[in-house]
Amino acid sequence: VPVPPEYLRVIDFGRVGARRSQTLWHAVAHRVGDGSPATLSFVRPSRPYVCIGYHRRLDEVDVDACRRRNLPVYRRMVGGGPVYLDDGQLFFQITVPADRVPPARARALRLLLSPAVEAFRAVGIAAELDDDLEIVAEGRKVCGHGAGQVGSAVVVVGNLIERFDHEAAADVLAAPSARARAEILRLMRHYVASTPADPTAFRAAATGSYAAALGLSPRPGTLTAAERSWLGRLDRRFDDPAWLRGTSRPRPAAWQAKVRAGVRVVAGEHEGTGVVAGIVGDRIDRAYVRDPDLNGAGARVEAALAGRPLADTAAVLKAFGLPGGRVAAALAKATP
Amino acid sequence: VTDEEVDVRTSDPEGAAPASPIQDGPAPSEGAIVEVRGYRLRLDRAYDPDTHLWALVVAPGRVRIGLDPLGVETSGTVAQLAPVPVGTAVRRGEPAGSLEAEKFVGPLPSPVSGTVVAHNDAVVADPGLVHRDPYDDGWILELVVEPSRLDEELPLLVAGADQTVPWFERKLAEYREQGVLAE
Repeated sequence: VPVPPEYLRVIDFGRVGARRSQTLWHAVAHRVGDGSPATLSFVRPSRPYVCIGYHRRLDEVDVDACRRRNLPVYRRMVGGGPVYLDDGQLFFQITVPADRVPPARARALRLLLSPAVEAFRAVGIAAELDDDLEIVAEGRKVCGHGAGQVGSAVVVVGNLIERFDHEAAADVLAAPSARARAEILRLMRHYVASTPADPTAFRAAATGSYAAALGLSPRPGTLTAAERSWLGRLDRRFDDPAWLRGTSRPRPAAWQAKVRAGVRVVAGEHEGTGVVAGIVGDRIDRAYVRDPDLNGAGARVEAALAGRPLADTAAVLKAFGLPGGRVAAALAKATP
Repeated sequence: VTDEEVDVRTSDPEGAAPASPIQDGPAPSEGAIVEVRGYRLRLDRAYDPDTHLWALVVAPGRVRIGLDPLGVETSGTVAQLAPVPVGTAVRRGEPAGSLEAEKFVGPLPSPVSGTVVAHNDAVVADPGLVHRDPYDDGWILELVVEPSRLDEELPLLVAGADQTVPWFERKLAEYREQGVLAE
């Protein structure tokens, strides 16, 4: 294996098409650790699209909604769930040889996300890396990230969210009901924030912080011939329906949509009774119930559930008789 | 990360013989365990010293693989496990599947060369099994391996108390020095 050059290559890919906003940095990842230097890259998609994590089921995306909105869907080679991307987001990717990061994933992520936190702070955003390894400011997620080992490189990707279209981001997620989708949108508005900041200043700050963290001098660069060759292969792969379908994955025991670490929406059904709940940590933030025998008591059930730890809900629902029991069963199915 | 589509099929434990020692010489008793600084290591199998995957010969020419306790601990909470499709030939060091934890996707480098013949469907459906029971219910996949390959590649793994204990202690010390593990 060639010894990688000892500098941090910095590539600003600028504004590119949706697919290229993925394949460019994947091409870099295929060569870093195999001749190319550690690389910090930036890219902004010129049009909106949806991207799904390597292991995730395609049916987590509302493909019909994507078609209505004319959004292409691509599958990336790093982790995380389905996400909506557009030109209001500046994406960055730090790609280093795998042997330069600690073997523990959490520690590797902390190493490769901390310089991004410094960059956020440098442009006036009070960002921090929380215990869930999310970049947050005042409790709201301000950067989506994913990571993976691609070939001999580890790549961590993230974004500066200058503007965020919460409605589009909620709309492209598959949801079992309009109520569930509305709850995703409500929690997304509360827990995912845009951070309008000067992207040029952010790029400069990130370049400085990543170079310092890696002990490398930054140097502007471009794709190598080998990376351009990978780009063509990756363009074809990302257009391949079989690649988009992904690996055959087991269907999860219950539907849920994650808004950020520790914040999710769940839904369950039991004998004609339905429940949708927004869950924050181990507590129900808000619940919506539907049961033919509640006879107008639905609002009282919802009020009784709000703020309760999940572990207490069965006891709370006992006060509502048989319909309460059915709600408890639906909730249990939603949170296996 | 593998590019291949995964076709999860029913595991095929039929014909699997009781576990046999992976190296020549006196066999450790089945289920023999050594404890190294709080970590329990099974001595009926061999360990890849670099990737923290174990290999256990479950029948002549048939090897089961899984994660060792350090592999489990350094992965973090495993959210997804995806073995390569049954029928795929993999070489030692190549991905026999992929694992996702902390939104971080990484390869599962095969400790031996062979052809994948079975997946553990239970661990694919519930990756938490690798945390709860890395040696038994948390196994990941099985390969058929040519006898000559086994002869060639098994010595590259560590096996038996005399190799396993010093290797594991060295790794623990290394990881603690790097801050990868708590003191």
